Amino acid sequence: MRIDDYIDNFIKGEKQIRPNPFLSTRVVAEIEKRQQAKAEKTLRWQAVMVAISIAAISLLGITIGNAYVDSVSQEITMNINDNEIEKLDYYLFENNE
Amino acid sequence: MIDEQLIQEIISGNTLAFKTLMEKYRERVFHVAMGFVHLKEDAEDLTQEVFIKVYLSLSTFNHDSEFSTWLYRLTINTCINFVNRNRGKRFLQSIEDVWQSAFGQHDNEKTPLEKIEVSERNLLIKKAIDSLPAKQRSAFVLSKYEDLSQKEVAAIMNITEGAVEQLLQRAKNNLRKKLGPSIGN
Repeated sequence: MRIDDYIDNFIKGEKQIRPNPFLSTRVVAEIEKRQQAKAEKTLRWQAVMVAISIAAISLLGITIGNAYVDSVSQEITMNINDNEIEKLDYYLFENNE
Repeated sequence: MIDEQLIQEIISGNTLAFKTLMEKYRERVFHVAMGFVHLKEDAEDLTQEVFIKVYLSLSTFNHDSEFSTWLYRLTINTCINFVNRNRGKRFLQSIEDVWQSAFGQHDNEKTPLEKIEVSERNLLIKKAIDSLPAKQRSAFVLSKYEDLSQKEVAAIMNITEGAVEQLLQRAKNNLRKKLGPSIGN
């Protein structure tokens, strides 16, 4: 027998092997499994992103709140209108007697 | 249903159409994979990997070539990557194969010595095919395992028909050179 014939016989033998008839079912199941895993991963990330957003907004609010500087002067001015002051003499009975 | 229709159906989310497409091409992909790995289980894993890739990247298929050409190209690349990834593992597997085919099967027509001879010869042929450079091996597998014409092989490998002829001739010479001293008569 020639080398080429041995090679051809070997290839012929390998070509006779048939794949598992349920291979396509296996592939579809694998694709669905991967898609499900991907969807779960996306959902998990969505939850994480929402939590991070809430934390970031809270932190931003606190930072903005702390950064606020009151521009109004803290000095208190006494503005007393003498006319509106009740006369204490009324209450000082000693003088009215 | 023709391939174009099936592809449109699959892109729009029809899993049944994908199953139909897979039924149509799974044996072709499997045979090419067998040409690279020579093991049913590995060839099935590769077929699975190829079809998952097809499903995920079908929307990127631009219809420049026929679907079968694109599929063969994808299969060849996946097989070459697989073989490069599993070099060490494959050596141990081939020894196990010889043992299995020599003593695992019940072929009453052959004596144990003949069985060992056939197994050893097959192992040598496998090793010789596996040792071919990637391009020669791809052309050889497509031509011998799938009985594709040189024109089809050229389209898949994106080379000229003359280049395919040259690759096949070199592959044949390399195999003869490698196998000559051990099994040549």
